[in-house]
Amino acid sequence: MTIFFYGKLRERFGTAVELEIPAAGCSIAALRERLAERLPAVALDLQSRTVRACVGDEIVLDDFVVAPGQDVEFFPPLSGG
Amino acid sequence: MSEGAAGAGAVVSFVGLARPEGGGGAVDRLVLEHHPRLTARSLESIAAEAERRFGVDQVRVVHRCGIILPGEAIVFAAAASRHRRAAFEAADYLMDRLKTEAVFWKREEGETGPRWIEPTEADYAARDRWE
Repeated sequence: MTIFFYGKLRERFGTAVELEIPAAGCSIAALRERLAERLPAVALDLQSRTVRACVGDEIVLDDFVVAPGQDVEFFPPLSGG
Repeated sequence: MSEGAAGAGAVVSFVGLARPEGGGGAVDRLVLEHHPRLTARSLESIAAEAERRFGVDQVRVVHRCGIILPGEAIVFAAAASRHRRAAFEAADYLMDRLKTEAVFWKREEGETGPRWIEPTEADYAARDRWE
């Protein structure tokens, strides 16, 4: 599956990261941990409630289970206007 | 917009400008990243809710993305209604929601490097007061 980043996370990870997940899927919480292991410098950001996960253009919570083939986007805090 | 709002007695508009100074000193430019689908959707949703909630005849939001130079406009938000109270409130509401819920990621670029902007406590409080 592919994880897409925006904002300050994109600066650290790049636009997208490929990850293998089990056939049974992987929770958003577990994805955050795996990404934090990959890049400890952003672990605090990734574990923060202010960074939200989005699947299929809908914000999802940490207990959401992502299936293989589903992509996830991580959004840092929004700042418009 | 005034022409499209037949019967409107009041048009209230706001323009947000890129400031030349930010938290990290002089700003060379702002850069606004957006999402391929959710940015437009968030603007439409916020505008529609302003129209519905304040009963105004028309709402218009125009939001730039990409590179914005100091002094340039970032966002335009306006509301037209029969009387001014609803138009003022709708415009105020639009900005409070856009600052915290419009799907953009904003960074200042200047001498000290890139600096990501996040809404302040005051921004969140301003948004929350409408709930």
